[in-house]
Amino acid sequence: MPGQDVVKLGAVTIGVLLILFYGGTFYISSRIGKREESADGYMTAGNRIGFGISAASMTATWIWASSMYASATSGYTYGISGPIHYGLWGALMILFIYPFGRRIRAVAPEAHTLAEVMYARHGRSSQLMLAGSNVVGSLISLMSNFIAGGVIIALLSPFTFIQGVLIIASGVLLYTLWSGFRASVLTDFVQVMAMLGAVAILVPTIFFAAGFPSAFELGAASLTPEQSNFFSSDAFLKQGAPYIAAVLAYAIGNQTIAQRLFAVREDLIKPTFLTATIGYGAMVIGVGMLGVLALYLGIEPLGGDLNNLVPQMAASYLPTALVALFFVMIIGALSSTADSDLAALSSLVMTDVYGHLVAGRKKANPALMVFVGRATMVLATGAAVAFASLRLNILDLLVFVGALWGALVFPVIASFYWDKVTNRAFTTSVIAALAVFLPVRFGWLPMSGATALVVEVLSVVGIGVVIGLMVFGFLGLRAAKVAALVSMVASAPFVLGFLRDYATLSGSLVAYAVSTLVCLAMSLRSRESFDFSTIKERVGHFDDPVEAALPDGELAAAPDRA
Amino acid sequence: MSTVALTIYVLMWPALVAVVMAVIGRGFLKEWLDARRRGEDLI
Repeated sequence: MPGQDVVKLGAVTIGVLLILFYGGTFYISSRIGKREESADGYMTAGNRIGFGISAASMTATWIWASSMYASATSGYTYGISGPIHYGLWGALMILFIYPFGRRIRAVAPEAHTLAEVMYARHGRSSQLMLAGSNVVGSLISLMSNFIAGGVIIALLSPFTFIQGVLIIASGVLLYTLWSGFRASVLTDFVQVMAMLGAVAILVPTIFFAAGFPSAFELGAASLTPEQSNFFSSDAFLKQGAPYIAAVLAYAIGNQTIAQRLFAVREDLIKPTFLTATIGYGAMVIGVGMLGVLALYLGIEPLGGDLNNLVPQMAASYLPTALVALFFVMIIGALSSTADSDLAALSSLVMTDVYGHLVAGRKKANPALMVFVGRATMVLATGAAVAFASLRLNILDLLVFVGALWGALVFPVIASFYWDKVTNRAFTTSVIAALAVFLPVRFGWLPMSGATALVVEVLSVVGIGVVIGLMVFGFLGLRAAKVAALVSMVASAPFVLGFLRDYATLSGSLVAYAVSTLVCLAMSLRSRESFDFSTIKERVGHFDDPVEAALPDGELAAAPDRA
Repeated sequence: MSTVALTIYVLMWPALVAVVMAVIGRGFLKEWLDARRRGEDLI
């Protein structure tokens, strides 16, 4: 109950747990280590990973420490529906990218990054825009996971925050550096099993140790009517709706997801994405329930910081041995995402910077590529540790980057289906969207009169774009047009005159709308008719570029674009 | 929501997590054994 003593683990216990965790993952990665790692293996494990590892890796990568803390915060703030409005939409990010993933994989079966495919589809500027946004996103994610590690170690042990950050960064780099993506996905399996097992044990244990189910009756008075309502409009508008807007943006802008999409065996994409959707949703919503329980118990978060809720619940109601299990769960969550970020960053630099920009695909030296990838991991770790020491507000940064990614979603997806989208349409639409997004997001314009109305009309269009794209992935263009129209008509009365006060949500929707409208307008006037089958010839393996890129062993020049 | 419904609502998630864990674990084990039988690397 409130005021209860919090269990702290000693320096020796934490040290032993960290040595066991990182020593174990290092041992696992050393078992698959090769004296001479191939460039394609280092980035995508040869595009033929099986279901067990890929589903585990997709789940582990998408779950990070912040998603657990944020889900619990949502439960504590918005009541019983709060974790649903965090975890469900997060899970749908994985589900909604799946149909697009199948198309992307069919067009470019041996790609390493989405940006690389944009290079083959459009050219340099589109590639660099997507690669740049991927790099920024992965660096922020890496930094965020190091911060989460520093915080949990400082909270549960005598170590300081900075010591915690350095321990986590060194541990992750240790087991990821040599084998890259292959080490990342294999250790993900072990980490996700530990995380899933921990949630299956810890949530019910805390539930009964804290006096539930009877505490539901005793604590019901602590909840407001909105918090008690499963269909709370407050929870939907403040937590769920902004997340829905971000669903596709995060999936498109995140290289860690694209990397797994290119790595899994093509026939296993569907079961992998479905399993990861359910695994992510169940785990994040399950941990989020700790926030709901804390609300019923009337617990105040330590130091007023809602991020302390989950560790506080664990440390208050679990015996020492299970607190240690909880610690391993959090370390597993943040390490699995951090190693994926390192693998993503190294692939981006190997493929999009060295492979296509510096050397050119046909002239790229695979051994040098692997060296570039490893050097990238070391530099990225150093940069993330330096940024982590500043303790920036991670969620604000992520929301900002997520909205930036919103500007890319329609041009990227349209480029995989519509032969008339040009490089100029792609680039112009993204820049135009960013030019409108920034003043809306940061309130540089007075949100009143005609300006506010224009922003709200664009937001209505943005809602239509988001819903339309989601439906398009599963049901095709005609259903998507109907869904977009219906959602715009249905949402307009609630958006016009209302959304101007929600800068984050309207900024994100405006980014979707402007990029779509500009891309549509320019593409409709375009006379280009792109042949998608040429992408397979332009994007392929680096270790054996000609043979791997051509069907049936046919020998022909694999063109490299300038 | 009643106490029983709330209890089910909270505890269904860790139960679902356990099911996913079993599905992923079974898939991994099957692939690992297949790879060993064929004498290939798992990854």
